[in-house]
Amino acid sequence: MIQFLVKRFVGLLFVVIGVTFITFVMGINAPGDPIVQLLGQHYTPQAYAALKHAYGLDLPWWQQYLNYLHNLFTFNFGLSYEYPNRSVWDILSSGVPVSLELGLWALLLQLIIGIPLGILSALRANTWIDTTNMGIMLALYAIPVFVLAVFVQVFILWLDNITGGSSGINWPVAQWGVPWHYGWSDIQFKIAPILVYAATGVAYYARLSRTTMMEVLRQDYVRTARAKGLRERVVIYRHALRNAMIPLVTILGVTIGFLVTGAFFIERIFNIPGIANITLTSIYSRDYPVIQATTVLLAVAVVLGNLISDLLYTAVDPRIKIQ
Amino acid sequence: MDTRKDPQQPVAPGAMFSPSLEPEMLSLDQAAGMPVPAEVTPAQKPSSPLRDSLRRLRRDVRAMVSLGIILFFVLVALIGPPIYQHIGGPYVSNVNGLTLSPADYHNYYHEELDRQDEGPSAQYWLGTDQLGRDILARLMQGVLISLFVALFVEVLDITLGITVGVLAGYYGGLIDQFLARFTDLMFAFPGLLLIILVSGIFGQSADAVFSHVPIIGANGNARLLLVGLILAITAWPLMARYVRGQTLQLKEQQFIEAARTAGTTNLRIILRHIIPNLFSIVVVASTLNISVTIVGESGISLLGLGVQQPGSSIGLMISDATQNIDTYPWEVLVPCIVLAIIVLCFSFLGDGLRDAFDPRSKD
Repeated sequence: MIQFLVKRFVGLLFVVIGVTFITFVMGINAPGDPIVQLLGQHYTPQAYAALKHAYGLDLPWWQQYLNYLHNLFTFNFGLSYEYPNRSVWDILSSGVPVSLELGLWALLLQLIIGIPLGILSALRANTWIDTTNMGIMLALYAIPVFVLAVFVQVFILWLDNITGGSSGINWPVAQWGVPWHYGWSDIQFKIAPILVYAATGVAYYARLSRTTMMEVLRQDYVRTARAKGLRERVVIYRHALRNAMIPLVTILGVTIGFLVTGAFFIERIFNIPGIANITLTSIYSRDYPVIQATTVLLAVAVVLGNLISDLLYTAVDPRIKIQ
Repeated sequence: MDTRKDPQQPVAPGAMFSPSLEPEMLSLDQAAGMPVPAEVTPAQKPSSPLRDSLRRLRRDVRAMVSLGIILFFVLVALIGPPIYQHIGGPYVSNVNGLTLSPADYHNYYHEELDRQDEGPSAQYWLGTDQLGRDILARLMQGVLISLFVALFVEVLDITLGITVGVLAGYYGGLIDQFLARFTDLMFAFPGLLLIILVSGIFGQSADAVFSHVPIIGANGNARLLLVGLILAITAWPLMARYVRGQTLQLKEQQFIEAARTAGTTNLRIILRHIIPNLFSIVVVASTLNISVTIVGESGISLLGLGVQQPGSSIGLMISDATQNIDTYPWEVLVPCIVLAIIVLCFSFLGDGLRDAFDPRSKD
């Protein structure tokens, strides 16, 4: 177990170093001189040299990279190119709780909506319930998240319109409330983005849990359980469901990947001030240190998600030996 | 060919022993171009697998309807714009008093600044956007861009995927190790994030470099080459992994062994015996990947990192129209619905193809 953990953490370290190296190389090869951009009309050769030194950009590239790595491990992402005297962390920190809140809610909804829907379909396989459910899930999975977001926004506007704004459902279609506060004024903002954000993952979980559940229901031990006269409820919940859950744990990493890329669209379309939105703003203003920092943060989130799902996998299935 | 005979086989097993049937089946197999007529006894495989698959596909209503809709969109994107630009009479612009022909005002980047945000009319079949541009013309151009990017990515995806996948599966060794490591890295790192990063940093340089490329580089489409390239880079490991798995299975089969015993070179075995047998898996994987590609391209354009103004892409149309979503929902719904239909059709077709080629995958 310890050996496995050490091995995985070394692997994690390699991915992080790879990602930081790629983003770093992209950053120093990026077109345009950030110092010139930062100085703007105050440009003088002396000021240029001084500022370049202050940002550490006059060092050889490998030294810059080592500095960058060193700073990274002390959670210091450097200084912004766009805003003088603001650190990258200062810019990103306001978005982190918002994105985390959005992501965790979506993750939770995927599990508590997706899995029961899949199980329901498996238990009612090839009936109209199954067909309709799986049809909707396939559509939710295939239709891109930004199209779903637009549909939901138009629906809310239409609902608002036909009720004349007097129904109390006067939902704004873009904005975000206070993070981690759930008064009515906050819920109004949060419910639609969270639902849309979770939709792809819900569909993915539903489709997969239907497949795994149906596979388990065909197993010999389920037939044995039925043959010895156990009640259907016991067969399903005690014998089948537990075993069907095992493969579902491994796709946690995949759905975190969905969430990371989905964040860019959800936060942009619903105008949510999370880190994806901040990254997009930084991309438009070519603020490379911020882009590098978010890329590293998101890549680490994905790799950690994969690691956690591997650990959970061994925790729920004692047959799997860690090597 | 022998569609009627197939269902009869299990019903009347005795027919298998009838002396009249056997030679006929064998000749049919040979005519259908079976890879191994000598190895497979006619009783086991009465007709060509490809023909069986196509028959199953033809029975799949959802997949066939999807295929029809996709063909319709391809047709509209290719021949729609030139036809649309010949429909309608001259129009005297209120902006500068010039007389415009339909070739002008039905062009996807022509701005008619006093005709903004109109609903559908005889002149503008789907209305106009916030700059007075024809939505139908922009939509057809957007679909064309989507399909072009999909084609570009699939050509690279299939070429790279088959080359690396076959080499990794057939020879193993170093190239197999490389493929395994690379796919692990690509699966750990979300592809779209890479595209956002690369296009965000190098997009403007790509605009400058590729804008001189004739035809595809014009009208803000230059960055698509970069976006397409990265979409292909993120797509091919999956294709290579499928191809590798299939190659590993094929390699162990007797007809390959027979070919090797007969002294066939490795190159010839790969080209003549392995690659033709990858057909079904490559078709299914690339069809499913097309919808990923189309979503990727429109998503990147929606974020402002793909097609640039005055070019048109479905994503760019959505991004333009979301600003007026509360007053003109029509403008944002049109590209969204079209994109949803295209993506769903490719998914249904991909699912149908998979079920047709590999019936065991269906539960």
